[in-house]
Amino acid sequence: MKLVVEGVGKDYLIPVIDSVSFGVAAGEFVCLLGPNGCGKTTLLRIVGGLEPATRGRVLLDGEPVTADGRHRDRVGVVFQEDRLLPWMTLRDNVALVLKPLGVAAAGRRATAERYLQLVGLGGFEGYYPGRVSGGMRQRAAIARALAIEPDLLLMDEPFGALDAQNRRIMQNEVRRIWRETGRTIVFVTHSIEEAVAIGTTLVMLSARPSRVRELIGNDGRVERAKLVDDLNTMIMEEVERQQGAAPGPVP
Amino acid sequence: MGPPVSHRWAARLHLPTLAVAVALLAVWTLLSWRYGAYVLPSPLEVVRGLGEVVRTGEVWRHTGASLARILVGFGGAVVVAVLLGLAAFVSPVGRGIVHDLVAVLNATSVFVWIVISIIWFGLSNWAPIFTTFMITLPVVGANIVEGVENVDRRLLEMGDVYRLDGRQKFAAIVVPSTLPYLLAGMKVGFGLALKVSVVAEIFGVTSGIGYIMNYSREILATQMVFVWALVMILVMTLADRLVFEVIARRLARWR
Repeated sequence: MKLVVEGVGKDYLIPVIDSVSFGVAAGEFVCLLGPNGCGKTTLLRIVGGLEPATRGRVLLDGEPVTADGRHRDRVGVVFQEDRLLPWMTLRDNVALVLKPLGVAAAGRRATAERYLQLVGLGGFEGYYPGRVSGGMRQRAAIARALAIEPDLLLMDEPFGALDAQNRRIMQNEVRRIWRETGRTIVFVTHSIEEAVAIGTTLVMLSARPSRVRELIGNDGRVERAKLVDDLNTMIMEEVERQQGAAPGPVP
Repeated sequence: MGPPVSHRWAARLHLPTLAVAVALLAVWTLLSWRYGAYVLPSPLEVVRGLGEVVRTGEVWRHTGASLARILVGFGGAVVVAVLLGLAAFVSPVGRGIVHDLVAVLNATSVFVWIVISIIWFGLSNWAPIFTTFMITLPVVGANIVEGVENVDRRLLEMGDVYRLDGRQKFAAIVVPSTLPYLLAGMKVGFGLALKVSVVAEIFGVTSGIGYIMNYSREILATQMVFVWALVMILVMTLADRLVFEVIARRLARWR
């Protein structure tokens, strides 16, 4: 799935995203980076058709994404929170999203179990979300997003609530799943280390109102440690710029 | 799971409460000696009276009649409340109307409905039924509307992402998150229904707990007034334990 973001901007009371443009080839693992409050999540929501853009447009394989969700392509979203239905087992949670695709009950069940297996939740299919750990819930949310075999998988700081150890495990899992399924992924994170560890394309946004500050191919040709250093420098510059642009104390 | 059986019994009996109950019974007995059975029958007479109505089967006849009226009036209120909740879910305008309607009904006295229902339905079964319906509707309705308003928007957005249609979102997200509110409303509503329908039964019907209580008073059988009050308490407690608690436990099995 080829993703093109064309001059997308968003104003709330103030302009949050000025104009962001970039293009991604099918099968890329894109990481969106930037200082806090620069509109990473908003941009992701616009790409997923969850929110309309004030300016510009998003194209999936040449088709515009609309905020009413009527676009043709399948988009899976993993939110910051797991957003599982607490009254359904993990299996039913995953199977539920296959209903609109017209899959029969037996097929839904089998597919749900297959993807739960894929994210390492084999044996936990019959558990309610409240009975498993936060990391496992987030995995179930990922299984749900993968189960619809999305053309595009959007992930919004999916590991933000996890501890360092679980985070590392989940990063490896997502990277493995990406390799095995070949999906196009757009992944929002505020962790530069995380982005460098898992992304193939890094999009660094500037301070608010944001633009693309740098588009970096992370193909292993640049040494990782140096990349992390460079990105850290960039983000510090942007944070300073944002603070400089912020209105000063009331006299 | 839970504590061992012996502990549970101790907790349920709760000795201090038991002590207070024994003290009250003693005071009750003393007072009944002092003032006589017409004003205050003794606990023993009340127990004997209860045995009597159970033996003759009168207890089933009147409790059954009251429960049947409650079933129609309160059941109707639950059905209408669910429809109101549906209206509140599908349209913001509907939500506003239901809100105001519930507020007005909540502010209306039981007696208003009793009098009006006697005017409209005469001395018939429909008077207590209608009164019960009008009094419990706002209680159940308010709970359902609150439940509908508290449905997690983030879960609905998840439903949109995965393109669940309205019916699928309703069944998978709205109904399960509203059910606890509905149950809470029904629990309060049922208690209210029992209290209200009994009052309405004083007028014009010839069966039911309210009727027989009033009749007992007229024939100066004060101990029977106490007996029927006891029956009401038992019905309420049993409904709580056997119906509402069981449903609540079933609903909460995922917690």
